[in-house]
Amino acid sequence: MSLRPEPRSIVAESLYGLLNPIPFGCFVAALIFDIIYSETAVMLWDKGAAWLIVFGLLFAVVPRLVNLTQVWVTSRGSATRTDKLDFWLNLFAIVLAIVNAFVHSRDAYAVMPTGMWLSVCTVIPLSIANIMVAVKRAARGGYVNE
Amino acid sequence: MSNTFVRSVLALLWVAASVGCSEKASLEPAQQSGNAPPLPIAQDFLVPPMQVPIGVGWAQGQSPKVAPGLKIEKIASGLMHPRQVYVLPNGDVLVAESNGPGTEPITTPKQLIANKVKNLSGKGGKGGNRITLLRKGDTASGEWEKHVFIDHLHSPFGMQLIGESLYVANTDAIVKFPYHLGDTQITEPGVEFADLPGAVNHHWTKALLASPDGSKLYVGVGSNSNITENGLEVEYRRAVVLEVDVATRGSRIYASGIRNPTGLQWEPQTGKLWVIANERDEIGADLVPDYLTAVQDGGFYGWPYSYYGQILDRRVEAKRPDLVAKAIVPDYAIGSHVAPLGLWFSEKNALPEKFQGGAFISEHGSWDRSPLSGYEVVHVAFQQGKPVGKPETVVSGFYSADEKKLFGAPVGLTQDKDGALLIADDVGNTVWRVTAESH
Repeated sequence: MSLRPEPRSIVAESLYGLLNPIPFGCFVAALIFDIIYSETAVMLWDKGAAWLIVFGLLFAVVPRLVNLTQVWVTSRGSATRTDKLDFWLNLFAIVLAIVNAFVHSRDAYAVMPTGMWLSVCTVIPLSIANIMVAVKRAARGGYVNE
Repeated sequence: MSNTFVRSVLALLWVAASVGCSEKASLEPAQQSGNAPPLPIAQDFLVPPMQVPIGVGWAQGQSPKVAPGLKIEKIASGLMHPRQVYVLPNGDVLVAESNGPGTEPITTPKQLIANKVKNLSGKGGKGGNRITLLRKGDTASGEWEKHVFIDHLHSPFGMQLIGESLYVANTDAIVKFPYHLGDTQITEPGVEFADLPGAVNHHWTKALLASPDGSKLYVGVGSNSNITENGLEVEYRRAVVLEVDVATRGSRIYASGIRNPTGLQWEPQTGKLWVIANERDEIGADLVPDYLTAVQDGGFYGWPYSYYGQILDRRVEAKRPDLVAKAIVPDYAIGSHVAPLGLWFSEKNALPEKFQGGAFISEHGSWDRSPLSGYEVVHVAFQQGKPVGKPETVVSGFYSADEKKLFGAPVGLTQDKDGALLIADDVGNTVWRVTAESH
């Protein structure tokens, strides 16, 4: 493992920095909407959650491809265990979100409770991944918006 | 959007369906016909059972298949999505050319994809928003004369003549037109006679039937969703049969809980009101069987809370045990997802003996079943005012043997002055006429 990571593509880094936060926000919002829907059965929340999951998945495409390339191809040499775990946790979350998009295509309360639990299981690995990356940064003495 | 795109979406859905525990139907429509159909356990799917043949229309000289002893002829073609047929006292035939008003907003990602998939079948073809009059003539082709009878309607479906007033059920109102025997065109603007539930219009058809004495009009109003996924508030006066008083124009709910009552007729022996209904989708290829039933004044038939009496639908979180307790079991199931859209009781007609009496039902077919079911006209025999036996196929052959291509789909039914069965075909844009071979 080299001491200094090789410089990365500015375009790739910019796209990643711009788009990567969006899916997490969408999936967290979807989880909140799911909880409200499961309590109230007001359709607005369920339909909102369905859109949030779809948009989260669409926005995830580019940053996940950037991450895949960096971790396993271009920065293979400098990728840490944290980087690899971050990749797998994200992949796991995306797979669950895809299944969840189909569950959310069911009509009315047929979405529940499966849809809400899938939202929980999407948000948890993403949260762990985000915390891991933050802790790694803290250990290196980097800034939050490095 | 391009057909290629739609096809790739369809292909992707097939892949998803094959991993998503989707299933093929295991019961034939005939097995789920009668007064005690087997009802499997409801399922939740990632992708519901789905099969959509591609609408191609009829080739030159091609026509549907008829039961032995029958013949079929084309009396009109090139129509714009013909849905209903109605015969005037002088034998002229009215054809309502119509499709949904397209006012249902897209509020879910699913609708974006599902609408495109469903429209591949040709069932989404543009409606003419008019009524065309057909008159038997001596045209060389054998087709009847065509006259544009009333133009600029708003998704018309039901038509009824009371005296010299023609009532047309647009999707949002009953409109009244003056009619004089022999007219081939009405140019006077219609007068709005009674408003009908017109918001959203998930199910947009408004079936119409006058009482024999002309004092009441009965209107079939479908639900605004499959199973309340658009919220209960848009279901006000939906999934009901409305009764409109002709003298006062006032209306009331005559019967409720009927998801989509698409055809209303009087049973000739008992004089009772009968209805065909499209039941709910997406809980199985063999659920829920569509039905034919007598409609009781004040009766509740289950939708959305339950089906076939007290079988609960878990997709509806608002519980109404009081309503479920009194939900009436329909009289006669006709198979799952056959999608009945036309009903005609006929005591006497120009078909062979076994088709005298009883009810003809046209089955438009549904996207939510594999293999296909419906896409045919059937006959249900009646004894003492009650359906008996299994439905018998009268007209079929609306799709190719490999179930990939759709030539036509039957909708409205009636019989002409000579007793021939008339069938509106909205995918083939044709009106068919069926008689006995020897007739």
